[in-house]
Amino acid sequence: MRNLIKNVKGFLIKIGNIIKTFFWNVRRIINNFKRKISNFLDKHKINPAGKFPGWAKALLYLSPALIVLAVFTFWPIINSFALVVYENYNMTNNTITGYTIFGNFLRVLTDESFIVPASHTASSAVINTLIIVFISVPISIFIALGVSVALNSIKPLKGFFQTIYFLPYVTNTIAIGLVFAYMFRTDGGLVNQFIGLFGVDTAGLSWVESNAVYWRSMFVLIFYSIWSALAFKIMVFLTSIQGIDKQYYQAAAIDATPKGRIFSKITVPLISPMIFYITVTSVIGAFKIYNAIVALFGVQGAPPGVNYNLQSIVMYIYQFIDGSKEGQLSVAAAGSLILFAIILVLTIVQMQVSKKRVHY
Amino acid sequence: MDKQLFIKSKKIESITFIFDILAIIAYIALFLMLFNLLQLPDLDPISGSMDLDNLEFLTPTYELLGSNLDKWQMNSIISILVIFLVVTFPMLFINIKKNKTRTIYEVDSYAVGSKFVQALINLLTFNFVGAGLRIYNTFILIKFVKGYSPKEFFQSIIPAIKKWFADRKVKKEKINEDTIDEYSASLKRSIRRQNTIGALRMLGTYLFLVLMALIIIIPFYWMVLTSLKTFTESVAINPKFFLSISRWNWVNYKVVLTELNFGLYIKNTVTVAIFSTLGTILTTIFAAYAFARIEFKGRELLFSILIMTMMIPGELYIITNFITVSKNGLGWIGMPTGENKYFLAMIIPFVTSISYIFFLRQNFKQIPESLYKAARVDGCSDFKYLMRVMVPIASPTIFTITILNVFSSWNAYIWPRIITGVGDPDAKNYWLISNALRDSTFVQDSGRVMYNLQIAASALVTVPLLIVFFMFRKYIMNGIGRSGTKG
Amino acid sequence: MELRLENLTKVFTNKTGQETRAVDNLDITIESGTLVALLGPSGCGKSTTLFMIAGLVKPTSGKIFFGEDDVTKLAPEKRGIGLVFQNYALYPHMTVFKNILFPLENMDVPRDEAFQRVKEMANLVGIGELLDRKPSQLSGGQQQRVAIARALVKKPRVLLLDEPLSNLDARLRLQMREEIKRIQRETGITTIFVTHDQEEAMSISDKMVVLDFGKEQQYDAPQDMYNQPDNLFVARFLGNPPINAFEAEVKNKKLIINNKPFMNVNVPDGLYDVGMRPENFRVHEKGFETEIKDIFHIGRDTMIHFEFNGKNVRALVDSDSMTDNQKTVLLTIKPERVYIFDKETGKVVNHA
Repeated sequence: MRNLIKNVKGFLIKIGNIIKTFFWNVRRIINNFKRKISNFLDKHKINPAGKFPGWAKALLYLSPALIVLAVFTFWPIINSFALVVYENYNMTNNTITGYTIFGNFLRVLTDESFIVPASHTASSAVINTLIIVFISVPISIFIALGVSVALNSIKPLKGFFQTIYFLPYVTNTIAIGLVFAYMFRTDGGLVNQFIGLFGVDTAGLSWVESNAVYWRSMFVLIFYSIWSALAFKIMVFLTSIQGIDKQYYQAAAIDATPKGRIFSKITVPLISPMIFYITVTSVIGAFKIYNAIVALFGVQGAPPGVNYNLQSIVMYIYQFIDGSKEGQLSVAAAGSLILFAIILVLTIVQMQVSKKRVHY
Repeated sequence: MDKQLFIKSKKIESITFIFDILAIIAYIALFLMLFNLLQLPDLDPISGSMDLDNLEFLTPTYELLGSNLDKWQMNSIISILVIFLVVTFPMLFINIKKNKTRTIYEVDSYAVGSKFVQALINLLTFNFVGAGLRIYNTFILIKFVKGYSPKEFFQSIIPAIKKWFADRKVKKEKINEDTIDEYSASLKRSIRRQNTIGALRMLGTYLFLVLMALIIIIPFYWMVLTSLKTFTESVAINPKFFLSISRWNWVNYKVVLTELNFGLYIKNTVTVAIFSTLGTILTTIFAAYAFARIEFKGRELLFSILIMTMMIPGELYIITNFITVSKNGLGWIGMPTGENKYFLAMIIPFVTSISYIFFLRQNFKQIPESLYKAARVDGCSDFKYLMRVMVPIASPTIFTITILNVFSSWNAYIWPRIITGVGDPDAKNYWLISNALRDSTFVQDSGRVMYNLQIAASALVTVPLLIVFFMFRKYIMNGIGRSGTKG
Repeated sequence: MELRLENLTKVFTNKTGQETRAVDNLDITIESGTLVALLGPSGCGKSTTLFMIAGLVKPTSGKIFFGEDDVTKLAPEKRGIGLVFQNYALYPHMTVFKNILFPLENMDVPRDEAFQRVKEMANLVGIGELLDRKPSQLSGGQQQRVAIARALVKKPRVLLLDEPLSNLDARLRLQMREEIKRIQRETGITTIFVTHDQEEAMSISDKMVVLDFGKEQQYDAPQDMYNQPDNLFVARFLGNPPINAFEAEVKNKKLIINNKPFMNVNVPDGLYDVGMRPENFRVHEKGFETEIKDIFHIGRDTMIHFEFNGKNVRALVDSDSMTDNQKTVLLTIKPERVYIFDKETGKVVNHA
């Protein structure tokens, strides 16, 4: 029996060797061929790349990426500036009726669902987005910092908790959003059941269903954004904190520093570049929120039957990406450019602030 | 330490794996067979749609091995199979890894105990051969660790426990004896206070972590729970927090997969994910190599331009890309039915990402240049060097890029929605999972929203990725953490 | 394979237009099968020379010949060289076996023969049992052997080593330099290695090239160079403890030290730099009377400090020839061990 296994093994190894030798010889032939060509070129002093050998090679390696980028990244940037000044661009016929420099921008800025809400709708995309950004980003960073520090200070079960906190990152936003919407149902939703335990009257307490009050549906949205955003932040903060040289902590321990001061005077400053980076990217990301709103409230962006909506800026823009109506795409382009401007301004402001607070 | 025993234990463990794998295959096969047998409601002869309102009132009988099973028994069997799989699959995974990397020094009494527990699990999951092999292995390990036979090992447990208690008593008495000196007494007091504060702090930390973990985990639990409920249960005013295994309605998943077409949508998403990831990896490797190693004029300039475009929001690109991809440009969408190439439109625009090129270029730059020179001297061409040296060394980064790309395909919503919304009735077949979740209707003609089916669809879409995550979690978490810190 | 460098020059121009002559008109012939050291202080151009021979750096002017072939314009992979880098440059993700096999994959060698060569080479350098390990699992000395094996496995015409011993600790250095000598002798390959450590170069090389600021200072066998330095720089560079160098006048064919005639020399009168090695001094009853400033006993030797023409000078003599509380001592030195250098050119004038 043992002999049989040995024989089979030997046979498999032999076959493996034959295959490997085959590939080896193939490679030899290719190398010989390359060498012949290269010698030929050298002998006749042919240099196809001319004075810029680097260019030829670089072009070869970059071409796949550059072609795709040219069509789907560079061209769109240029084309958006064109789109934005078209009047009544019709996609089916590929025609326009004229040009307008500010027309599309004004259309967006004066739209009552964009910045300044009309009295009866009482909400606008910009206001909604600002609320989301300025509430969810600081809270999620704060919680993530707390969790990272707590995680860093324990040894047993650390990996277990890490795995759990990372779960939201690997999920589909819309799938879990649907679950959240279900959990916040008025009749029999998990949340109402829970707070009912504390004696709160939950009859008819609507979070995401008809007649939900603005701040309650906004609460659900913010809660969900924070919930999904924690995983990445915790991971990055934890890696940064673990990278801090232990000697700083040892020195502080010798000076009998209380834990609170260690956190605020040592840990936070030492990872401040990371906190800054996360803040900037989180703000930018939060400004672009879309999937979460669709998950909770559908494409209309609001609970049914209410007079407000929870549209974000991006959601506002997307309603114009509809090829059938004239002129819509230009409005969308205008909206995107305005969004870009807002993000740019905020980023610059944050960079200025960071110069004082961030230590490198 | 008898090395032979250690090797023997490892060999037997490897053989046990074969049987573990066989068992898992058996579970999966049985599961698929039973799943297939699950009966769905009939199709309405006029409208062609399935009557889902009465899904929970069906009482089918299944004939299996000569006996008749009703709905509840069928559910129970499938539930048991799923539990088996959930328990044995990760266990197998962890064991294979451990068996490969365990050194002779890491085997101690704890290892003996865990081997024994695994033998019990094998027993409970009807993997009798595996259980037998593992018990045999336990005996070998006992011999290895303790040097004597199992009987003596078990006999030694009780005296060992007694000894442990006795030791503690002696320690306590010693502590009380030493308190003569006044200074040492106050020292001991402050040490004790410090320990108490430390313990309280630990407790507080753990409580906080557990609270956070609960907040994270409860939606997942609720999702799986609801997906197995009947419609009535899912809209109940006092929902159940726990279901017995006969009440796990696996038929929900079958409905979602077949009647609601989620099998198709998952297939679409996987196709898009695979091809866009392959394309991304190839273009990124070549482009990053060009920016990292090839000297050409204007390299830094071109790279800076690329970096600047990273700041621009994606919404801007979508608008023009929509036009480009329509019949005014590449003609992939907006054409008459049947001539649309939706997959091309979903994959090609995302086949390159500047942030991945940036990320990989960083990594390439860290590889010492002397390696390149050594390879040059050995006659190695640029391309070969890239493929045989740089890519393997940078493989963690490439893996991270793969993961990130797969996640973004998995979550794609707006772009697939836009391009399939152009009025082509065939377009629905090209939906990705996010579109299907939100846009397909779980509302019955009666006006009811089938929450249990909707949540089952969510679970169907979430669980595969969770499995992948559990298998590769170390790599994924390290990769993401590192990518974030590199900035 | 004889290696010839003909007027090899390398000039670097930085962004502001400043020119640096890293290598200046180097003209050397290295005999086949010899082990030659490129020796000099930091920045003297020895590594640049090595990389020009390798083909990784293009010379500004001059030619390089491998035997009869002019390889100056030839790409590195076509020259048939083996190169060992200072940090070994082993591929971290490949096993030792694969590392050594790598050069053979690009050559026209059958697979069986390639595997055979790898094993032979591994045994030659002494790492035959480590073929399955990865570089990170090896010690510094072992990694270097792998690097050497990888360079030799393609049977190159010339073997080049860039500061092979500087990354090793002191004890390992002694062992490894003897290993390098042994390997070179067994394979007979023309070998050039770069170092700044003169003791290392002197102990194993057949000949040395001393460089300073890109210029060749001397090209000789070690012991010859030691005993007959061509110029002050070489004399100063070799020897531990370092040579004593001081100014002295020659009047009437006599070398004047401390205002007294020291010995007769056959050079024109004038002011010169004089070099005398500490170990060449002897205590002799007919010696030059010298006032002792300090005495240090080091076991078998005694180091005496004194002054010649205002400069601190050391002598290393037998402890037996000294008593403890001597205030003066009578020293002699063989005439052929006195080196007189021209003050402007630095060249030696009293030895041909």
